[in-house]
Amino acid sequence: MPPSRFPIPQGTLDMLILQIVSLEPVHGYGIALRLEQISRSVVQVNQGSLYPALHRLEQRGWLKAKWKQSETGREAKFYSLTAAGRLQLTEERNSWARLAGAVQLIFDEGSGS
Amino acid sequence: MRQLVNWFRRKQMDRDLDRELQYHLDRRITDLKNSGLPAQEARKRAMQELSGIVQTQEEVRDIWLRWWLTDFLYDFRFSLRSFLRTPSFTITAVLSLTLGIGATTAIYSLVDQIVLHALPVRESERLVLFDWDGDWVGNGFGSWNLMPYPVCRDLDQQKQFFEDVFCRALTPVNLSIGGDTSPVTAEIVSGNYFPVLGVGAAVGQVITNDDDHAPNAVTVISYDFWRTHLSGASDVVGRKLLVNGHPLTIIGVAASTFRGIDVGEVPVLWIPASMSTAVVPGLNDLLDRRTFWMQVLGRLNPGMTRQRAESGLQPWFKAMLQEDMGRPGFPVITAERRQEYLNSSLTLTSAPQGHSPLRRQLSDPLWMLFAATAVLLGLVCLNVSGLFLARASTRVREIATRLALGASSGRLTRQLLAESLLIALDGGLLGIALAPLGVRVLIAFIPRGISANALHAGIDSRLLLFALLVTVIAGIVSGLAPAFQSGRCSLASSLRERGGTAFGRVRLRKIIVTAQIALALTLVVGAGLFVRTFDALITKGPGFVTSSLVSFGIDAMRGGYSNAEGEKMMAHVEDAIHRSPMIQKSAIARNPLLTGGSWNNQMTIFADQRIVTDRLVHLNAVTPGFFETLGIKLLAGRNFDDHDVSPPGRPGWRSAIVSAGFVKRYLAGRNPLGTRICLDRRPDAKPTMEIVGVMSDFSYRGLRDDTEQAYFPFYEGEHPFGTFYVRVRGNPEPALESLRAIVRSAAPTLPMTDFRTLDEQVHRSLNAERMLATLSGSFSTIALLLSLVGLYGVMSFVATQRTHEIGIRLALGARRWSTIWLVLRDGLVMILSGICIGLPIVLALGRLIESQLFQVKPWDPAVIAIAILALSLAGFGATLLPAHRASGVNPNDALRVD
Repeated sequence: MPPSRFPIPQGTLDMLILQIVSLEPVHGYGIALRLEQISRSVVQVNQGSLYPALHRLEQRGWLKAKWKQSETGREAKFYSLTAAGRLQLTEERNSWARLAGAVQLIFDEGSGS
Repeated sequence: MRQLVNWFRRKQMDRDLDRELQYHLDRRITDLKNSGLPAQEARKRAMQELSGIVQTQEEVRDIWLRWWLTDFLYDFRFSLRSFLRTPSFTITAVLSLTLGIGATTAIYSLVDQIVLHALPVRESERLVLFDWDGDWVGNGFGSWNLMPYPVCRDLDQQKQFFEDVFCRALTPVNLSIGGDTSPVTAEIVSGNYFPVLGVGAAVGQVITNDDDHAPNAVTVISYDFWRTHLSGASDVVGRKLLVNGHPLTIIGVAASTFRGIDVGEVPVLWIPASMSTAVVPGLNDLLDRRTFWMQVLGRLNPGMTRQRAESGLQPWFKAMLQEDMGRPGFPVITAERRQEYLNSSLTLTSAPQGHSPLRRQLSDPLWMLFAATAVLLGLVCLNVSGLFLARASTRVREIATRLALGASSGRLTRQLLAESLLIALDGGLLGIALAPLGVRVLIAFIPRGISANALHAGIDSRLLLFALLVTVIAGIVSGLAPAFQSGRCSLASSLRERGGTAFGRVRLRKIIVTAQIALALTLVVGAGLFVRTFDALITKGPGFVTSSLVSFGIDAMRGGYSNAEGEKMMAHVEDAIHRSPMIQKSAIARNPLLTGGSWNNQMTIFADQRIVTDRLVHLNAVTPGFFETLGIKLLAGRNFDDHDVSPPGRPGWRSAIVSAGFVKRYLAGRNPLGTRICLDRRPDAKPTMEIVGVMSDFSYRGLRDDTEQAYFPFYEGEHPFGTFYVRVRGNPEPALESLRAIVRSAAPTLPMTDFRTLDEQVHRSLNAERMLATLSGSFSTIALLLSLVGLYGVMSFVATQRTHEIGIRLALGARRWSTIWLVLRDGLVMILSGICIGLPIVLALGRLIESQLFQVKPWDPAVIAIAILALSLAGFGATLLPAHRASGVNPNDALRVD
């Protein structure tokens, strides 16, 4: 039983999806499984918001999709990262790191006083 | 762009989304079952997790739509800003498109009104028009698709094919209201005309079958006439009008949208066929089966096709032909002619636009002009394309930056398309705003009597739709080349291109300019041919002196005169004109000249052998002074004199004067004088007339006329009507007034029709030719200018790009002319290839306009040579200027540029 789960912060779902897709082309259910693994431990992801997010990312040109045979033998829609998507992921990762770092800095200062 | 494509692939996308979600569900359910959940429970859980399939689908669709819209708006905002930064580019592009779209819309307005527009009646697509194909053995008056009234009644019985069959004929009448007489057009209609067309009355009632069974002196007036001449009086029903002197009672006003079934001639009033013998001069028996004067139209039964009705009617038609031959009054004819008569057939044509001689006359010229504007519009699009490409080459840095920032090249392509659409939309809206002006200019080319009430210059919803469609197409076509170009540029090449040469882009611009030159050539050659045609017709002239010659028509029957009274009145008018000091000479002809129509027949010539003329001879009856008044030379023999008037009780002419063309065609090498002829082609025809004179050829129907003519003495006819030709002294203006006074005092109730100078009549008869020459001339001028601007633009660009190279060459000792040649060569290649591409198009299109040409072939070498020369010289100039400028560069400056 995970100790405490909080709802995923606004905007981070896209980043998580980009991150998952960046590893290898993967279909929606695969992403859902990965998200579930994450959410079991830390955050809570509503599967209903997964598909709108995927399509939003596709429309923005960050993801591209292709119908391919999945591991079960059936055709599934596999998502992969575009060049623009890769750039976007790097950018989000950087800004996330900066934000996290900044927040950490503030906390550190607070505990130091 | 992808979003745009998405829009059209909505269905496919929906299906894909279903599949994707279904895959997710199935996998989830399987996994849940494997983990030990019962099937039903697993399904429920899976659905829950997805928070409902339908809701997810809706959310995804929302994303598609929202994204498309925001992108779209963003593109437009961005385009707008960039246009405002480059106002000269924007203004040039918008104005070119305004011109192209405005001209196309204006011409289409006339094409639509005259050629395409279906009648505003119930289910017009089921209307068909009948025609008698073959020898009628009867008399016809009117133009096209003539039929006798009884045939209409017979056809109306054929209920297995037709819901109803009705007939109508247009006739000019004299209309008097309250002492005021004016010539107007009336439509004689069968009783079922209004009910079949589904046209109702604005006031009172329309003519019905009851009015047609027995003569009933009633009439329905047009809405326009009611408003303008009766000031929309509400008590109009029951008032009386005088039509050709016969009182008719107004029973109603037709619906406001209804203007008859002929686009060119809008009737002022409708009269039941039962009244036609009273109001149509020369018609003695409505039920005569050998008098052809009405158009018959029918409404096919639902589901019936024109072809089935046509073939289904033939047995009935053949039986009618047989039966008619046995009727009393059927002319005695030879076996040969009887065979021709029996071989006649009945044809049906689809007639959703009604029946219109104007359409026959103008539809070819209008389609040609429409094609010319389409070419012009294409050229304009190419021009705007070129402008966009030129602008893109100055935006290389912006585009490279955007690519570097992660914009996909598809995104840029869409941006460019949005820009061209926005420009086209501006041009389109301006074009639509200006189109009515253009239509008014076009209408001015069409005779005023027709255009005033039949055609309008407004923009209706059909036209608007057309203009918007053209605008969108123009936008896409203009944006295609730039979009294609940007679609191919990659980040790396864009960055490399910075300040360097953009060869790919220049090549595309060169292709565009080449295409422009090819299109311009076709327009210039077309204009050359039409101008030559117009010029040839004007130079040829009608074959008589038109200056200070005036004509007007009067028809005594239409004033309610009896034959005897009418003849007396005509003689009186002629006498008074002769006595007037302002008049030199005058004469009367039975039929007017240069109106497009004529009286015609085949003739038999009794020379050393019997000759039947192989084509129609155009005929007229004239008073003895006719040839002298018009200034037509008598080449041989004598003029008519009083002896030629046949003695009473022996009707028919005994003498004739034929044209030089007649002698040349049928009596070459023989003495025409004394040759006996007759106005009949039947084998049993008797020689009744003798040729007493030969006159020089002149135009009868129109200036293009090259037909044979024969003239007979006037005053032998059945009823007194004719056109006066009056040669006045000096300026015709004061004489017109005195002529009007003479006729008014002799016949107060009789209006003069077509009262005008012969110069004006010639001018009117060349309306279509003038329209073609003037408009194609202006179009080709614009086309030439546009392609020169395009050529100049590209050459300037090329020259600037090669400045560096030229500088090096000059520094190494190259001669100046050799560097000029360097740039010039590029331009000449474009001009020459444009001409090479254009020539086959010119040759292919030539056949299509041949029917409108006069004394010039569509492949006239002189016209084509002049067009090529003009295009080459102008193009050479547009190339030389930038080349010369480039070669004038100081090598030091050029080398220091980088």
